[in-house]
Amino acid sequence: MTMSLDAIRSELNASLSSAAPGLSTADALCATCVGVLDVDGAAMSVILDGASSGTFGSSNETSRRLDEYQFTFGEGPCLDAVTQGSPVLVPDLEALSERRWPAFRDAVLSDGIRGVFAVPIVVTSECVGALDLYRVRPGPLDDLVLAGAHLAAELATAPLLDLLAEDVAAEAGRQDGAEDDPLTRRDADGGTSEMDRVEVYQATGMLISALDVDADEALLRLRAHAISSGLTATEVARAIIERRLVLDRDDRPGSPGSSRPGGSTP
Amino acid sequence: MNESREREIIAAFVQLSNELVDDYDVVEMLAQLTASCARLLGISSAGLLLADGADTLHLVASSSERTHHLEVFQLQRDEGPCLDCYREQRAVLTPDLDAETARWPEFCRAAEIVGFRSVHALPMRLKDNVLGTLGLFGDEAGALGEEDLALAQALVHVASVAIVNERSAHDRATVNAQLQHALSSRVVVEQAKGVLAHAGGLEMDVAFTVLRRYSRDHGRKLSDVAGEIVARELPFATVLDHAREGRILP
Repeated sequence: MTMSLDAIRSELNASLSSAAPGLSTADALCATCVGVLDVDGAAMSVILDGASSGTFGSSNETSRRLDEYQFTFGEGPCLDAVTQGSPVLVPDLEALSERRWPAFRDAVLSDGIRGVFAVPIVVTSECVGALDLYRVRPGPLDDLVLAGAHLAAELATAPLLDLLAEDVAAEAGRQDGAEDDPLTRRDADGGTSEMDRVEVYQATGMLISALDVDADEALLRLRAHAISSGLTATEVARAIIERRLVLDRDDRPGSPGSSRPGGSTP
Repeated sequence: MNESREREIIAAFVQLSNELVDDYDVVEMLAQLTASCARLLGISSAGLLLADGADTLHLVASSSERTHHLEVFQLQRDEGPCLDCYREQRAVLTPDLDAETARWPEFCRAAEIVGFRSVHALPMRLKDNVLGTLGLFGDEAGALGEEDLALAQALVHVASVAIVNERSAHDRATVNAQLQHALSSRVVVEQAKGVLAHAGGLEMDVAFTVLRRYSRDHGRKLSDVAGEIVARELPFATVLDHAREGRILP
């Protein structure tokens, strides 16, 4: 199949706006990836606390299962892509030199998949998840497909932001026990509503000024940083208020993780 | 009662009742209430928690900006004398927190860290509704005198009338809407403090003074000015410049 990058872009964009009923935006985007990127499966995961935390979209059940292997085994290209903040491309898992994720590799190979390609999803310069593409036949992605994958990962921030925004809204409304959402689940144990705190409001204000963004984006930015660094929103807020943490302006997309406190630089 | 204290008490009531007459701002009024209580009762900190429609308590005003104090106030969403005061709709007087560690383990631990030894929690009542609670925190064990408690309760009464329009006080839905307004005003005021704190390199309490000064000098509501700063309609530089002209800032 040969498509131009523009055609890929418009297909991907269309999938976001016209998700079929019952299908989440994230699922729709993954399904479109399979259609236009010459891969056999696609999934998206969101990563919390540096450990894998959940698949939030997939092109089908098989892809979801493949993706969840990483969470089961605690290893895989998607996790590495998020940690490194750069794509992890594995043209052939069966290659002798490929020893990075033994448990994940065996499981995926036994499902008939040879190629795995993970591209980080970056929200306001915080790496909060990855788009994972699966292919039955071995071999590298060609340049066009790779460009398309980056495009899809960029678009994936939209459903991910929705997820974060829902999370924020759910917490503000104290709607505990909300659906199967890894983000809400994580905070439901907390008791005290994390986002509804004086420190969080004050820190949001500081980010409005520091990043030159509006209040909604400042709050998302704070939230994204908390998620990617494994801290609570209050902890991040206090660090900002006490000037121990400075978040960068988002003028360099694709350079995630640059502002993590004590972060794990690869 | 000595004369200067009497003057202070009168001033506190006059301030609060002025808020009622003028186009008052609820956040500013409650901030004043907590500051007056802390000063008049000689306690270390006062915090006011309001309940939302879901019976969750939110900190709307406090006489102290210290984060650990904020923590002690906010913890009471889950446990503590203020929560009990709200739920049981009566004053909860705890002259010595050391005696209550079994009752409120988390709260007592947090209170100990900041050196609070006593808490007196008074309900903020309006007719049949309890709107929230005022927590009075002392750094020494011991009960507040009856006169002091009566004074604080009287100040709270005035404030509760100011929060909720009297005519609508029988209607719980309207009361909730007005409480919600108070709570969201608080959010935007805190955000605006953050903007000014970052832009001017200020501590939060100074940022609040700057914000308040600008609002007053322009005859505007604190939360309206805060909203414009947060929406970036009113440049923070204008507000900071005004504070410098008024010699609040160097």
